[in-house]
Amino acid sequence: MNLIAKQEKDGRYLLMGNEAIARGALEAGVAVAAGYPGTPSSEIIENLARVTTERDLYVEWSTNEKVAMEVAAAGSFAELRSLCILKQNGVNVASDFFLHLAGSGTRGGMVIIPCEDPGALSSINEGDSRHFSRMLEVPLIEPGNFQEAKDMTKWAFELSETLRCPVMLRSVTRLSHASGNVVFGELPVTHHKARFQHDGFILDPDTGMISSAPVAYRHGLQQEKLQKAIELFETSPFNTYTGPENPELLVITSSACNLYTKEAIQLLDVGDRVGLLKLGTTWPLPPKLLGKYLATTDKILIVEEVIPFLEENVKILAAETAETIGIKKFYGKRDGSIPSVNELNPDLVITALANILELNYEGVAAAYTEKALPLAFLNAPVRDLTFCPGCPHRASFWNIRTVLKKDNREGFVCGDIGCYSLAMLPTGFSTTKTMHAMGSGTGIASGFGQLARFGMDQPVLSVCGDSTFFHAVMPALVNAVHHKSDITLIVLDNSGTAMTGFQPHPGLEVDAQGSEALKLDIQAICESMGATVQVTDPFDFKATQNALFEMLQIKSGVKVLVLKQSCALSPEKKHTRRFEMSVDSASCLGEDCGCNRLCTRIFRCPGLVWDKVNGISKIDDAICSGCGVCASICPVGAIEKREVA
Amino acid sequence: MQMGGSKELKEQVLDKDLCTVCGACVDLCPYFKAYNGKVAQIFECDLTQGRCFAHCPKTGVDFEQLAQNYFQQPYRGDALGFYRRITAARAGEKLGSGQFQNGGTVSALVTMALESGLIEGAVLTDSEGVKPVPRLVTQAGEVLDCASTKYMAAPTISCLNQAAGKGLRNLGVVGTACQLTGVAQSRLNPTRKEGFEDPVALTIGLFCTWSLDARKFQDLLADRVDTSTITGMDVPPPPAEIFVIRTHNGTVEIPLPEIRAIVPKGCSVCPDMTAEWADVSVGALEGSSGWNTLIIRTEKGEQLVEKAVSEGYLILDAFPDSSLENLTLGAGNKKKRAQEKADMEEE
Amino acid sequence: MEKQTIQSDPYNLIITGVGGQGNVMASRVLGNMLSNNGYTVTIGETFGASQRGGSVMSHLRISLTDSYSPQIAKGRAHMVVALEPIEAIRVLAQYGNENVKVLCNTRPIHSVGVISGEQKYPSQEEIQTWVNDLSSQAWFINATDEAMSQMKNPIFGNIMLLGALAATNELPLSIDDFEAVISETMTPDKVQLNLAAYEKGGQMLTQATASVSG
Repeated sequence: MNLIAKQEKDGRYLLMGNEAIARGALEAGVAVAAGYPGTPSSEIIENLARVTTERDLYVEWSTNEKVAMEVAAAGSFAELRSLCILKQNGVNVASDFFLHLAGSGTRGGMVIIPCEDPGALSSINEGDSRHFSRMLEVPLIEPGNFQEAKDMTKWAFELSETLRCPVMLRSVTRLSHASGNVVFGELPVTHHKARFQHDGFILDPDTGMISSAPVAYRHGLQQEKLQKAIELFETSPFNTYTGPENPELLVITSSACNLYTKEAIQLLDVGDRVGLLKLGTTWPLPPKLLGKYLATTDKILIVEEVIPFLEENVKILAAETAETIGIKKFYGKRDGSIPSVNELNPDLVITALANILELNYEGVAAAYTEKALPLAFLNAPVRDLTFCPGCPHRASFWNIRTVLKKDNREGFVCGDIGCYSLAMLPTGFSTTKTMHAMGSGTGIASGFGQLARFGMDQPVLSVCGDSTFFHAVMPALVNAVHHKSDITLIVLDNSGTAMTGFQPHPGLEVDAQGSEALKLDIQAICESMGATVQVTDPFDFKATQNALFEMLQIKSGVKVLVLKQSCALSPEKKHTRRFEMSVDSASCLGEDCGCNRLCTRIFRCPGLVWDKVNGISKIDDAICSGCGVCASICPVGAIEKREVA
Repeated sequence: MQMGGSKELKEQVLDKDLCTVCGACVDLCPYFKAYNGKVAQIFECDLTQGRCFAHCPKTGVDFEQLAQNYFQQPYRGDALGFYRRITAARAGEKLGSGQFQNGGTVSALVTMALESGLIEGAVLTDSEGVKPVPRLVTQAGEVLDCASTKYMAAPTISCLNQAAGKGLRNLGVVGTACQLTGVAQSRLNPTRKEGFEDPVALTIGLFCTWSLDARKFQDLLADRVDTSTITGMDVPPPPAEIFVIRTHNGTVEIPLPEIRAIVPKGCSVCPDMTAEWADVSVGALEGSSGWNTLIIRTEKGEQLVEKAVSEGYLILDAFPDSSLENLTLGAGNKKKRAQEKADMEEE
Repeated sequence: MEKQTIQSDPYNLIITGVGGQGNVMASRVLGNMLSNNGYTVTIGETFGASQRGGSVMSHLRISLTDSYSPQIAKGRAHMVVALEPIEAIRVLAQYGNENVKVLCNTRPIHSVGVISGEQKYPSQEEIQTWVNDLSSQAWFINATDEAMSQMKNPIFGNIMLLGALAATNELPLSIDDFEAVISETMTPDKVQLNLAAYEKGGQMLTQATASVSG
């Protein structure tokens, strides 16, 4: 029995934030959940996908976040409670639909949960989607601890149904991927009945047509909903205050920053001087509640990550009510008390508090730092991110770089999002030269492929993964084919969405729930679009390089090379070993002219180790995955592979 | 002589566009490779000294050392280099017929060397259309596949490097000045690599005034010739300012100025027209199509020619004084031009 | 085991290692062992990209009364459990103090920079000297090698370290707590293997030279 589906009301468990959110959704009787894999959000869908039979749910990994939100919306329109899960970038992808959904309103409770990544622990941006709530005019709520992650998710559905609009519940890495104690509530008995009523009066919210038009009318309704939200937020138990009645300093915060601030206050022992107003309802701000606490002091510190969203909104409120509450001194990002970039932690909040309250605080004792810091700095080698042993991307980029260099026309590769994003680093031989959003590699390449008319004679390539192909590359590819762009797309097909934890996608025969699904064939799709397509195994260097050389000679039109080899961490490969690898120390040239440690210096698979003492390379059996690829790169064939019976 | 590694080779030769694609640096290791007539560095090697730099004919050649080693003579800087005698020559009946550029002397000598076991393999240059393809020939019958002048700069010595790396020995090499200068340096094991064995038993030089960038040549011919039908190429003597391409479907003429525009920059600093660092060198005999100029330089070269004549592979004839004058003048001018260009580069 | 008082409240423990070593699993097991006994536990993790060979940490907050931030404040660690030795140094520089204790696995995992010769990896002797210098008490066991030779899988090294941690008596941990937690998710035969590893770790700890620094 899956933990989050246990009936045990009042049971106390140690749960990951994402598990708590999933439990909250189950306690609300959610029926439909859709998302696209994105760290730190993926576990929510994964957990719900494991209990679909027990809890009568439909759970889907959609092709991309826009489609996911649309799928979830359908559930809501059919009077079911539904959920859309994404990371911060996903909100951007879904935002056009989100805008229109905010206008049209919803029926069954619909909750949209962006799990964001301040500090970009697993992203190449630290975008902040709180602004979407203000821009699209939907309510935004944020859990400030693990219990709230569950309780507020449940409440979000109720709120959405009361207001008849989607509700945004925002989490961050340090809640979603952290764990804390959660007390379970009751799991409802669920009998979902889906029905889409549409024959009533066109503007009837329950039975009419669902659309954001007529715009002024619908927009007016949205404003009313926000007003209603404000009334409810004024008395929400998720807005809490701890501290003296008249604090010297009021700190306003939300989300994981609540936990940092609480700890900072404790470590500085200023609980009698500092009041902590934790907001669970971040947009729209309830003015009476805010006014009450703003009036208690002149000094206000706002603690939040990334954009000064909360800070600016509080300041607007303060400006509007200045006559009543008085003039305030604000501290936050605008005055540099809180850093403008990167995630926060207790120490950064301590620094802000200590400055404002004129206190001294030592994190690491000075004497200790003096010995410890140089030791770490000088002796702890920085760990570059690297492809796993046995990763097909290492082989793919080795082939691509070799071909581009030999071809010698300054050819380049536009990169995309996935494990293979690492190809911009030495682990992928620094092969990719642009990197933006999902599908952008091929979109940009489609543009580069038109520039021959302006004298550009460099071969243009792009890469994408199999999941990325379906998410966003297809429209870009259509564009390239239709406009006859001279580009080569390399699809790195490792049979899964690897970077985020190996979720399925439309190229596989199985779906999120483990049921049989219809598999789409990437090669067939590209061919039907009109591209020239070849498929090779990236572990087969000869076939792959020949195919790529051939494609680079075709002067016009779109070429697609599918490199098919499954991920080293995929279920079928993970615990198997195809080859036993060894290095013949007698023939290994080591650092000599003729090799100069090609395998350990350039190829850099973690399974290959340089034995400095003996001047030869060796295989680290604890790390080697037995893929056999390194045997192909040794210039003297000193790396031997033996097929395991 | 200055020592260097791949970084210096790239900076001093490749990046300065002085590479003539001889192939001496190619296939010694994973880092320098050739593809379709161009040399590329695939990954960086951080050794401060390497064979790539030492063998390259463009990174400074110790002529004195080469002259002592191969001819046991001091280096005098003569226009034609050191030689024992010059003669006119052409292939004998033993060779059969073939598409020779001129007299077929090179094909004759290589065929005999293979058939008699003097060498076990010959490093030659073949082509696919106008794409140069270095080739190791081990059967005498295959020599004629590679007959006729390839004007494109070809990385022929990469083939020698590959063969030597596989342990092959007793090889013959046919090449132009830059290629054989690279070979001559490599045979002296300049980087003192342990376990070195000289894989070369015989070198046959080809006269060369300039070569052509293979890729630019392909582009030049793209709209004018179906390259798969080419049977031979030639530069007729002045005053004709044309480059002639013979095909199955007839002849195509390209104005020489267009050809000169695609000569690699490295050729302009080359001082060697007659491939001075070889056992024998062969070129055209002006005014006598069907005959070659044959320069014999070493004892080994002398023995080779004598054997070829006695066994019917080769026919010799007197070398006219006027031809000697012209040849000396031509070679001397190339040396002078190279010196001037090199001086200019240094300024 | 009954809920006992812990030496400090909150007790701050860091498990550090290299992405892919099993850091997360170890912290969950440990967290659940304590949570099942009524402690309030918070765990903060680094997931995602750092799993591809980067340095990772799990921060555990253990308290009788309150829930704490998933990130420990600088210089406030009570115990560092290092699945990889040089990571102990890296963590101590940020979170260490004169009283911190360290339990260290001695099997190195070379970064790709070390493998490719660009960086140096210090010797075990050097690392142990530094760890001793930077802590009030340190234990070193070669859990990975033991796991590889006895059980053919390096992942059991982490279980051995949990057993070793229990044997330090720094936290109230019993083998029964361990068995209860792993039985929730593992089949009986796997449970037995893990129990053996846990016990072995405890044995290794008592045999190891526990060094006390001045």
